[in-house]
Amino acid sequence: MRIVPSYRPGASALHAARAGAGIAFCGSFALVSTLYDNPLVLAGALLGVCAAAAGAGVIAELKRAAWFAVPLAVLIVVVNALVNRAGDTVIFRGGTLFGHRIDVTLEAVQYGGMSALRILVLVSAFALYSATIDPDDVLRLLRRFSYRSALTVSLATRLVPVLQRDAQRISEAARCRPEPPRRSAVTVAAITRALDRAVDVAASLEVRGYAGARRPRRQRVAWSRHDLRVGAAALALGSLAVAGKLAGLGTVDPYPIVEVAAGAPELVLAGLLMLGGAAPFVGARARLGVARA
Amino acid sequence: MPGRGWEWPVPEPVLVARGLSYRYPDGDADALRGIDLSLEPGSFTVVAGESGSGKSTLLRAACGLVPHFHGGDVEGELSVGGLDVRERGPGDLAAVCGTVLQEPETQVVMGGVRAEIALALEHAGESATAVARAVEEVALMLGIAQLLDRRVETLSGGELQRVALAAALAGSPSLLVLDEPTSQLDPVAGDELVWLLRRLNEEWGVAVLLAEHRLERCLPAADRVVVMEHGAVVRDDAPAGFLDWAARERPALATPAARLFAGAGLKPLPVTVREARDRLRAGGLLPKAAAGDGADSSSTPNGRLSTRLRRRPPAALALRGVWHEIPDGPAILRGIDLRIAPGERVALMGRNGAGKSTLLRHAKGLIEPTRGRIERGGEIALLLQNPGDYLVHERVEQELGPEGIAAAGLTGRERANPRDLSSGERQRLALEIVLGGATPAVVCLDEPTRGMDRSHKDSLCAHLSDLAGGGAAVLVATHDTELAAELADRIVLLGQGTVIADGPTADVLAGGRHFTTDVARVLGGAGGALTPEQGARLLERELVA
Repeated sequence: MRIVPSYRPGASALHAARAGAGIAFCGSFALVSTLYDNPLVLAGALLGVCAAAAGAGVIAELKRAAWFAVPLAVLIVVVNALVNRAGDTVIFRGGTLFGHRIDVTLEAVQYGGMSALRILVLVSAFALYSATIDPDDVLRLLRRFSYRSALTVSLATRLVPVLQRDAQRISEAARCRPEPPRRSAVTVAAITRALDRAVDVAASLEVRGYAGARRPRRQRVAWSRHDLRVGAAALALGSLAVAGKLAGLGTVDPYPIVEVAAGAPELVLAGLLMLGGAAPFVGARARLGVARA
Repeated sequence: MPGRGWEWPVPEPVLVARGLSYRYPDGDADALRGIDLSLEPGSFTVVAGESGSGKSTLLRAACGLVPHFHGGDVEGELSVGGLDVRERGPGDLAAVCGTVLQEPETQVVMGGVRAEIALALEHAGESATAVARAVEEVALMLGIAQLLDRRVETLSGGELQRVALAAALAGSPSLLVLDEPTSQLDPVAGDELVWLLRRLNEEWGVAVLLAEHRLERCLPAADRVVVMEHGAVVRDDAPAGFLDWAARERPALATPAARLFAGAGLKPLPVTVREARDRLRAGGLLPKAAAGDGADSSSTPNGRLSTRLRRRPPAALALRGVWHEIPDGPAILRGIDLRIAPGERVALMGRNGAGKSTLLRHAKGLIEPTRGRIERGGEIALLLQNPGDYLVHERVEQELGPEGIAAAGLTGRERANPRDLSSGERQRLALEIVLGGATPAVVCLDEPTRGMDRSHKDSLCAHLSDLAGGGAAVLVATHDTELAAELADRIVLLGQGTVIADGPTADVLAGGRHFTTDVARVLGGAGGALTPEQGARLLERELVA
């Protein structure tokens, strides 16, 4: 099962917006996850991402990312609970292991949960970005600054499914042998094949004039209504997150007793983040005529 | 019409090679030896030769990958579009030489079709409007405008090759080099690509340099054939002259229609199927018998097949009502019933996506049917499309024991890296690996002749016939009608996951339009003749009559 969301053309405002606006929109949710550990604010941001994903028609891609994100979140909760002994409320005494006392506190579990929520927001924002922003547009955007790095990222994205298919074929071929080879030999063969593929792609790049690539000319493209909607939402979300932080909203003091700011300002902030996620799609029907692949 | 005393200016050749020799950095011998070649603007040149003859190296030199990408030593001169290849790399040559390589998946670099076609122009620093215009024009010219907003991972192999062709043409190069661009495509996509090249050549005047194994596919479009052997040019002639030479000197390079005429002692040899038919008709030699009527079965085992079916021995492989349904997708196989007897040689045919490869995977047990049942009369050996997938060790001797190596004809090469073997050697090695030194109940092969030259194809046919003679059933999924005609007793034609035809080879292929051989096309299916040898015998009878 594919757990990394991949871009497919779609008919939504986010798909239609220029890459810069789309990156800023998805990035504003990532910004919230880095600025806040308040569960109320983070929940608002997560719902905002979900609203945006629903508006863009990529909820399935978000679910796919959840296969990776939820186990990671659970792992963070467990590790924090086992490793961090701060907190006054001991809920489990597990004895001693390798000279380390295993006491699980309620505060460590709660703070682990908040960290897990941050990860969920971050992964969801990245999944939204991966599913809705055309990597070719991102390459076009970034190549004025660092063309080769941007192209490397684009190629890596493009080659992942090709290499997955290669690895699957090599694995199937191994199953066809009367005595299947060692797993390590199959892995080395798959890596070797990946290197061969890389050489082929490098040759293709060369004959497309990569070695003589010049810095592209700056091109001005008028802002569409989708660019404006998504860009404005990104600006509003980013400003809201920064302003809230500067105003001291959403503070959390995890130890020794968890104290979470959960008043009206935090509720309003969470609500605005959620609405901000849906904002570009309200009343916007991007009639792009782009076939959904 | 030029007036008296006025002369047309002689155009500069798009490619000139003088005494060109090249050796790869770790090569024991020269990959190119003293090449002298000149290509005129607007010419269509086919490079022929067996695997390892130097075709790909010549083409890689034309686009600058040799020596700038691969390294190695060059002697002699080579210029393309007036640029000295020793001095200028592929980046500079991209402006004058478009390149299309063999593998569709790795020569498309970007994620979207529009971005892919635009890439070379953007590298050249063209303005956004110039790029947009060139992309639109080349897409319309190649008939891929509807693909512009598609993602490359949603394209078929044929569509990917067209996109690669569009990317190569976007900068309006004067020379287009193509290294076996159809080898990974099904016959329909391959034929379409060659016809597209012919149109480009005729309407745009782009000079084409094309390396290809299936010469019958591209000779009708060519005005010149360059034959390579061991890195040297051994023949440089027009298609008709080349066929005349090949029929005498290198029969493995001659087209089926030419071999048909040569076998019957008819001259001159035809370049196209239509030419062959017209000549036979004009000479009153075109047989009128319907398909299967008076079929020459002396070299096909149809008679043996019917005898075997009457006896009804235990099946080597039996599929009963086999379905393969993807959970969130279509049904790939729909209630397949198929029974294969020991020693029987069956070709499984059908267009891409018909379910051939899936059926073979079921036969081996790599996947389980969602409904239905499979009975196996013993071990099933399966050789998938790419023999390289089976080779996971550093040395041949690690892949197989001494007996297997001898059976693969690789004695003396035990310490070689399997990746350094030729394509034919790799396939023999992979086949011996899956056979495991025993004779299985069924040997299944998936597209074994893709990108394979005729001499390797002939030796594969002989090997599979030996296995069938030893009691193993042979089941080959293939698009290659010539292979099916040479090898199979029986053709099973799949369409949309169901069996749409199942019968003796002569009956199914001689009566087909797409699924038929060139010889059957020439003879209109008369006498059930499919191979040049069968056709020649039929023509000889006509001549006597």
